[in-house]
Amino acid sequence: MKRPLHRKIGFVVIILIIIIPMIFPFLWMFLSSFKTQVDIISWPPKFIFSPTLINFNKVFNEQNFLLYLKNSTIVGVLSVGFSLLLGLPAAYSIARFSQKRLSVLILVARLMPGISFLMPWYIVFSRLGLMDSYTALVLSHILIALPVVVWIMSSYFEGVPREMEESAMVDGATMQRAFVSIILPLSVPGIVTSTTLSFIFSWNNFMFSQVLSMEKTRTLPIAVYNFMSYAEVDWGGVMAAAVAIMTPAIILTMIFQKYVVKGLTMGAVKG
Amino acid sequence: MKKVFVVLLVVSLSFVLFAQGQTESAQQEIRVLLANHPYGELLKESIGEFEEQTGIKVNVESLQESQLTQKLTTEFATGSSTVDVFMTRPLQEGLLFNKNGWYAPLDSYDFSDYPGNTVDIGRKDGTPFIVPLVTEWQVMYYRKDLFEAAGIDVPTNFEELEAAAKALNKDGVAGFGSRGKGAAAVTQLSSYIYNYGGRYLEDNIAVFDSPEAVEAIRYYGKLLGNYGPQGVVSMSWENLMPVFQAGKLAMWTDASVFYGQVVDPAKTQIPAEDVGVAQLPRGPVDDSPFIVVSWGMAMSSKTKNTEAAMKFLEWATSKSLAIEGMKSNITMARNSAWADESVRAMMNPGLIETQAHAAMNGYPFDRPFMSAVGQARDLIGEIVIESINTKGMSPKLQSLATEKAKAVNDLLKADGEYGMK
Repeated sequence: MKRPLHRKIGFVVIILIIIIPMIFPFLWMFLSSFKTQVDIISWPPKFIFSPTLINFNKVFNEQNFLLYLKNSTIVGVLSVGFSLLLGLPAAYSIARFSQKRLSVLILVARLMPGISFLMPWYIVFSRLGLMDSYTALVLSHILIALPVVVWIMSSYFEGVPREMEESAMVDGATMQRAFVSIILPLSVPGIVTSTTLSFIFSWNNFMFSQVLSMEKTRTLPIAVYNFMSYAEVDWGGVMAAAVAIMTPAIILTMIFQKYVVKGLTMGAVKG
Repeated sequence: MKKVFVVLLVVSLSFVLFAQGQTESAQQEIRVLLANHPYGELLKESIGEFEEQTGIKVNVESLQESQLTQKLTTEFATGSSTVDVFMTRPLQEGLLFNKNGWYAPLDSYDFSDYPGNTVDIGRKDGTPFIVPLVTEWQVMYYRKDLFEAAGIDVPTNFEELEAAAKALNKDGVAGFGSRGKGAAAVTQLSSYIYNYGGRYLEDNIAVFDSPEAVEAIRYYGKLLGNYGPQGVVSMSWENLMPVFQAGKLAMWTDASVFYGQVVDPAKTQIPAEDVGVAQLPRGPVDDSPFIVVSWGMAMSSKTKNTEAAMKFLEWATSKSLAIEGMKSNITMARNSAWADESVRAMMNPGLIETQAHAAMNGYPFDRPFMSAVGQARDLIGEIVIESINTKGMSPKLQSLATEKAKAVNDLLKADGEYGMK
């Protein structure tokens, strides 16, 4: 496709105008994570400075971030895993048998303010001796991940032609077999989408982890606050921690982004 | 297929359950919640010694202060909290916690080494519930070099303060800074109100619409509106301190707690010898800055390990740790810590002087002391912002103050605290 030069330039300029305000905070965060406290507060801001790794050293050596990284990963993977295990069949059933009320019910669980769950959970988990355990966190994070899975996947399954499984059943497969062998492989883009999104929601969740986790199971979003103490904020540490937290999420999104877009639009136009 | 799912689910869930393992509980254990605070750090470093001496295992957790409050509130509200000892902010959450009976009474604790008014904050019906840890008071940080260059003296009263702010407000340096961000400003404004002869509450009735208090708010707004840094109405300490550290502020009134960071060469661009600490200038009526207990320590009323918890509390608030705290620039509440010679030798004289002045003449509240303190601060904050935006000239400041005072009184009535004492 050939375009005249001035239109190309115009296109680039417009893209830059849109992108710069979005990129700028990230750039600022990224640069600040390599600055000393003095450089961070200096005015006018310094864009050329001698970079330091002191902040990352604090994040990974003084603050035990690897433990928090491990905790977030365990909680994220397990809660998304269980959500897929429960959510995929549920979504399929909702799509096939038009169980609208059920799907609304699941959505309501997501719409309710999270804090209303916390008190009952705290009571239950502390009576069961599950405080500071992955079980409590995983169970609570399923509440975040499951509705995402069900909602994305039920509209996705509706888009899969019914003839596909009918022909499988004509060949003697049970409905379950058709679901596992025909529908699921066809729905990989949707599954990837819902997995990515629900993982990120779990990764970023603050409120549940704050109350239900303790020192051993503390997750990353809580740990950022380790750099904020009474009457003192270690901005360099906060920035470095934010970079460390965002990097896995960004990489994950970049790898799967083509699926995400496809998965989100798939249910929109039913073929 | 269904069966496979169910089996998978059960197996994997129980795997998670058992993966935790069980800890042997023959040893006495307590759970302690600390704040992200220099004193909390100090305690964490020394807890090993306590465990060795007593054989009690201490599980510590430290959290940022608003998270700490939220976590404590959630846990205590469920009635099944496992917290034994915790750090607490008497002025922020003390009333609420006390009203709900979440603090354990501390009759057996020896309070003789503490200033009386610091202990009174944590009393209910005469019984003490909070051990004061750290105090802070209003001071004025200033740039000695700028004062010298301009050939003026450090202000000692409010007229001089205004004149100095005007004289130093040049060359990209703001003459005067103090918190302007609504609710956050309430604590720093308090000393100005006291020096004008006003109060936030009198016998638990809101009186900040008195002519004295309104005059103080007007003065505060005039200074900040005319000589404050740009955007001061959205600035709290976390925004003002960097401005001061970057050398863009000539005078800054805020709590004494920031002293250490203002002179730390790793955090500031101005040399430590150019930073002065002075008391807040005297007002037209009074000379009474706030001095408050910013942090205390308490025991949970739900604790099942009273004896071990009390042992920990006594150790964590001991005199020797208080002296260590003083040496790392933490302004402790214990009298003896201030009298200690080794401490006095290394403390900034400005800090010692202003503390002595505030301890003698200060007023032990920096905000309306009530359960709904957060909402009250928001309401008062609106008056502050109106005053700053109009440089103290707003004609409706008085009517706004009257309206907000009424709203705060309604809050007091709703909590059954109106007119008490």
